[in-house]
Amino acid sequence: MLLEVDHVSKAFGGVRAVADCSFAVQEGTITALIGPNGAGKTTAFNLISGILTPDSGRIKFAGNDITGLRPHKIARLGVGRTFQITRELGDLTVLENMVVGTARGTFRELLGRRVLAREEQQAMELLDFVGIARLADQKAKTLSYGQRKLLEFASVLMSRPRLVLLDEPAGGVNPALLDRIVDRIRTLNQTGITFLIVEHNMDMVMNLSDEVVVMAHGEVITQGPPTRIRSDDRVLDAYLGRV
Amino acid sequence: MTAPTDTTGVPARPRRRSSRGVVLGVVLLVAIALPFFRGLPAYNYVLQLGIVLFMWIAMTSSWNIVGGFAGYISLGHNVFYGIGGYLSGLLLVYAGWSPFATAVLAGLFCLALGVGFGLVTFRAHGPAFIISTIALLLMVTIFFDNWEFVGGSNGISMPLPPFPVEWIKVPFYYAMLVSAVGSVYLAYRIAHSKFGLGLRALAQDETKAEVAGIDTRRFKIAAFALSAFFVGVVGAVWAYSLSYLRPTIFFIIGVAANMVLMAIIGGRGTVAGPVVGAIVLIAVNELSVVLFGASELNIVVTGVILLGVLLFFPLGIVGTLREHGKLPAILDWD
Repeated sequence: MLLEVDHVSKAFGGVRAVADCSFAVQEGTITALIGPNGAGKTTAFNLISGILTPDSGRIKFAGNDITGLRPHKIARLGVGRTFQITRELGDLTVLENMVVGTARGTFRELLGRRVLAREEQQAMELLDFVGIARLADQKAKTLSYGQRKLLEFASVLMSRPRLVLLDEPAGGVNPALLDRIVDRIRTLNQTGITFLIVEHNMDMVMNLSDEVVVMAHGEVITQGPPTRIRSDDRVLDAYLGRV
Repeated sequence: MTAPTDTTGVPARPRRRSSRGVVLGVVLLVAIALPFFRGLPAYNYVLQLGIVLFMWIAMTSSWNIVGGFAGYISLGHNVFYGIGGYLSGLLLVYAGWSPFATAVLAGLFCLALGVGFGLVTFRAHGPAFIISTIALLLMVTIFFDNWEFVGGSNGISMPLPPFPVEWIKVPFYYAMLVSAVGSVYLAYRIAHSKFGLGLRALAQDETKAEVAGIDTRRFKIAAFALSAFFVGVVGAVWAYSLSYLRPTIFFIIGVAANMVLMAIIGGRGTVAGPVVGAIVLIAVNELSVVLFGASELNIVVTGVILLGVLLFFPLGIVGTLREHGKLPAILDWD
């Protein structure tokens, strides 16, 4: 297993956002994390990427215990993530947004050039891959919503992550763009990158993912292949509110 | 850097060049040559003006590393100014070492202190951070006000510099010039490095910067420490030029406020901004003293200037001009 979430809980005040949550993501798969609003999906992402620290439970990535590590450490181990509401750095150019994660390493590297030639090459290829290479020198705040989604998606790939967490990549995106994103996710998955995707678009979830994890009120209620999840009563209950 | 080749299907992007190096070199040469022209009218005034201007360029440019690039406003930055001054001054009084030699030591000491202070103050964010730097300033002030060994609030006088009186300003002028050039160069190098890119990233969105793989805590502390270095250096030089150490010279919040003011007027987070801000504010101060005499009207004029800048140049002079693509190439150092 590439990612193992093991009995993780997180409460905010009295609200148990994630309660005794356990699931696993197998290397090389596209796994969807679904559930109604407030189910704890984004909190789970924040716990995995280190923005939040679990109250209890362990999280393992590629065999390493990453529980409580700071986000940059987890990122450097090979976990990339995007945000539901894009968080591009508006005053930086698109290209700078792409290479910002390279600001790490030795003293000498940190005082070296802002953008190395090979990084620029890689960034331009990725921007080309998602179709916004021509915007490279524009400030990120001048981008449209869809372009920001694409930038966020492309920038997370810069560090060659093993696992990519996508928080609602299809949210608010037009159908043509959605097709492009789905196609890019598939292409990348074939090169060996594992995906964990939070998504509300059920068509996308069902035809893209190998495995689906369903959360409701902070707990994982079931996990399985999409065909089984589609006909699982508990999933319908969770979404439709039947008890 | 080589432009990406067309073989990848990625469009090559044009790059801009300018000859600003020549102009800036000439300006620097004039500044270096100035003390040799003894026949200048108001020679001592011109040199004193240079000393003050270079000092403020060094301080504002240093402040800008943490206050501009990293976006953490420090209102206690003059603690390094004072501690640098006291350290060098006391080494002169008690050991006889010249502050011109120990100024670098004072800078390094402030750098180390910056790491220590940074470890504590960067636990806070936003307004809480600003308050914590004010608290730092107040604590240091109380400490020096009550430290009898250094004269407490009365201060302590230092031996006068052993130079002939007609040349007395020259070494101070050069020391401040070196500090100003050094601090601007430091800011320039940071702005053009991965470290600077990381600082600008965390200034905008710290969580995003962390998730992208940047060790934001270490970056902030490093920025704070680097921004303390030249403030300590010029503190040491300034103390020697006054030949007197007293808490109220260094540890009043107005000193830190001036750094912030100059940075905001010139353009916070730009390399040239602190230089422009220092020149504008000092020019305005001098002019109003010439026009209105030794009244406090210069403070009113400063306020009006700040108001005007904030209304018409919300990102500071350099920042706003650049935003509109109207910044002269000679000032485009970013």
